[in-house]
Amino acid sequence: MNTKKIVKTIFMTEILQGMALTLKSLFSPAVTRQYPKEKRQPFPGFRGQHAFVRDAKTGKEKCIACGLCGAVCPSKCIYIYTKEDEETRKKTIDRYEIELLRCVYCAFCVEACPVGAIALTENYEYSDYSREALYMTKEKLLDNWDRFMAGPKGDEYFEKFWTPKQQSFRAHDDQAVFRPKGSNGAARPEADTRPEGVK
Amino acid sequence: MGEIEKETPGANGDGKNLSTQELTLSMGPQHPATHGVLRLVLELDGETVTKCTPYVGYLHRGVEKLGENRTYLSALPLSDRLDYISSMANNVGYVNAVEKLFGIEAPERAKYIRTIMAEMTRISSHIIWVATHALDIGAMTVFLYSFREREWLLDLFEMTCGARLTVSYPRIGGVRNDVSQQFLDSLYEFTEEFPRRISEYETLIDQNRIWLKRTKGIGVISAKEAMNWGLTGATLRGSGVNYDVRKAFPYDAYDKVEFDVPLGTEGDVYDRYRCRMEELRQSNRIIRQCIEQLPKGPILAPEASKFVLPPKENLFKNMEPLIHHFVLLTKGPLTAPEGEIYCGSEVPKGELGFYIVSDGTGKPYRMRVRAPSFVHASVLPRLCEGGLVADVIANIGTIDIVLGECDR
Ligand code: SF4
Ligand code: SF4
Repeated sequence: MNTKKIVKTIFMTEILQGMALTLKSLFSPAVTRQYPKEKRQPFPGFRGQHAFVRDAKTGKEKCIACGLCGAVCPSKCIYIYTKEDEETRKKTIDRYEIELLRCVYCAFCVEACPVGAIALTENYEYSDYSREALYMTKEKLLDNWDRFMAGPKGDEYFEKFWTPKQQSFRAHDDQAVFRPKGSNGAARPEADTRPEGVK
Repeated sequence: MGEIEKETPGANGDGKNLSTQELTLSMGPQHPATHGVLRLVLELDGETVTKCTPYVGYLHRGVEKLGENRTYLSALPLSDRLDYISSMANNVGYVNAVEKLFGIEAPERAKYIRTIMAEMTRISSHIIWVATHALDIGAMTVFLYSFREREWLLDLFEMTCGARLTVSYPRIGGVRNDVSQQFLDSLYEFTEEFPRRISEYETLIDQNRIWLKRTKGIGVISAKEAMNWGLTGATLRGSGVNYDVRKAFPYDAYDKVEFDVPLGTEGDVYDRYRCRMEELRQSNRIIRQCIEQLPKGPILAPEASKFVLPPKENLFKNMEPLIHHFVLLTKGPLTAPEGEIYCGSEVPKGELGFYIVSDGTGKPYRMRVRAPSFVHASVLPRLCEGGLVADVIANIGTIDIVLGECDR
């Protein structure tokens, strides 16, 4: 055993180093969030509870009762019942139900929908004591739209997450590429580039 | 009182009537140190484990069977739920297998994005691993620090695809949506910061005498045995076997970046720990290179039009995309070739393989998942038997299993 090792063993240098680090961290700002008091704002496009798009023009749902969302759904939790509209003779939905307890929030239904009639909202606080609260009907889904997505938020959502777009199949100028720090005026966000979702 | 004392064997002080008895201890399935619902039945002779039998299946959901009833497109979220803390890497493994079966090639940009995502997953999985492993052995601080870094990565996942854990982000023939500039900047910042954080974890445990006592020389497995047991990933490389799917059968952008495969020498718990810590640095390096090289270009393969959903703008312009859209979503890709394929990928736990048999319909005829956690759980008796009961915890930690993947 050489001297260095003896000194290390007696004075517990490695443990002291660890303790110094924890002591330092003790005085650094806390990173935890006091959840129910401090709410976190999710990023745009967060895959939370579902909503049915309310068409601003008609005030009704956009759904055309094609059944694609139910077909693609990996957990088969969308139930669609259709009927024929008496006036227009068009196929419309009679009942549209989503069993949220089985949903895996994959947003495949959003992608499948040809008319952009369904969306996932930013609502993540939907736990409940009863199963009924998590069994979504058309009315509840439309209500969700008014509560969480109405206005520009909803448009933005479809802009970003109703994929694929034509530009996904080719190169275009807006695509993000690496930019080195401080290069040609393209300002990198200063100091703290941690995502801004934290409020 | 007096009577009981008389009847207790050996209580008369001469020790002649003493007897020992093997104790059977059921550890799990809810034990906090078994990383999920693993159940071990231990037979103990005092402090020594004489027999260890793992029981798995508490989290069995029939992922393989479910896969047979889903089209190739909608089976993707099943792979998220194998190893739920590294879902992005599982997704990448799955789409790579399907692409290989169909002979599709994802565009360059999508490949880079997938590589970035898979490596982010590796980092977030490995830091959870070091956190829980250290917590099991008794070092709590690492746990708190590593979750701080993980949060950053999860935020970045959420920014790109809207989910933090079960991401379902890659698609057959590309990825779901493009990454934003904010994502790249923030991730690059992360890669600059992260090596410092790794050193922080190492300051806490690397040389700590308690840590060394609990990990050095524990759970030793030789290179030959490790190979015979079918171990993969860092669990194999800790024994000094140089096998990494990313190097051996490069997929995505792994052949375009430089990285080293860290190897251990002793094959004990400590060496496997060192391997994973070094892998964190290598993953960081891969992410940096990928960001620097990320080209512009399509993110979905334009030539694979049979397998990729048509652009939303075209749906109501032409009949053809609309029909294609309907067929693809309800029946799956109709032109699937017949045949079978095995495609492995390096997920944080080891080699995750998908063996897909196709009968030409839009759904797999059989989808077998080679889950590294399952293979690793089978080596537990070999590692634990003959050791001390306290080392069982270290051994469970070191093979890095997630029971969602083990039970499938
Ligand atoms: S998010 Fe996924 S699982 Fe949920 S309803 Fe939509 S398709 Fe089904
Ligand atoms: S929500 Fe969209 S995909 Fe589902 S039935 Fe209505 S129109 Fe079709």
